[in-house]
Amino acid sequence: MEPAVLVIIVLIALIVGALALYLGMTIRALLKINQGLGVALVSVGEIASKTAPVNGVLDAINATLLAGRNLLEGLFLQKAGPDAAGLVESAFPGEGARFLARVGRRGEVVHIGETYPRGEAILNSLLGAPPPSAAPPAPVARMSALGTRPWER
Amino acid sequence: MILWIVALVLVLAALLLVYLLKGIVDAARTIEHRVEAIAGVAAAGSKDLDAVIELVATQSYIGQVVDGLANYGGSLNAALPDA
Repeated sequence: MEPAVLVIIVLIALIVGALALYLGMTIRALLKINQGLGVALVSVGEIASKTAPVNGVLDAINATLLAGRNLLEGLFLQKAGPDAAGLVESAFPGEGARFLARVGRRGEVVHIGETYPRGEAILNSLLGAPPPSAAPPAPVARMSALGTRPWER
Repeated sequence: MILWIVALVLVLAALLLVYLLKGIVDAARTIEHRVEAIAGVAAAGSKDLDAVIELVATQSYIGQVVDGLANYGGSLNAALPDA
């Protein structure tokens, strides 16, 4: 046998050996990847199953809160009348205009302030207490004295 | 002479083959580590979501609170005069 042929045979054997070695290592790595993906898939499935009811529950919570808000806003409008938006604005700055939009009213929102004299007077009359001595006039009364109410402009 | 040229080509082919196969194995090992990290994060995320079921209790509480508010509103409606 010629030396060149022997060298070629040895080289082919080396190439086949390298192919086998590296393919074996690749297969091993792919098997580990497959195993890891299986573990990840279980956790991802758990995440999906755990978050599945969230949308429904949150929608139900929002619907309940919305019903409660509408109920209270309707009551508020019925009891406080045109002062309602101002009272909302006093308690939650910036919310008065949104309140008016929600209840379908228009007009300017007048900030009531820390105390609401009309409400205070109603509570005092219900409780039988004397009226406050130096209570400032309610915004409604002031606006009524001027002849125009901001929400009716 | 031709046989020696063939042998030289085979040597070069073997070197190229080893280089390419090493690249494949290195890439596969990188993916392996990433997948392990993803599995860890997914497991931690799944564990963090254990409390999500509490939302059902929250839903019930919110229903009770709104019921209470409705009753309170009913009382106010009866007690206070309309505007």
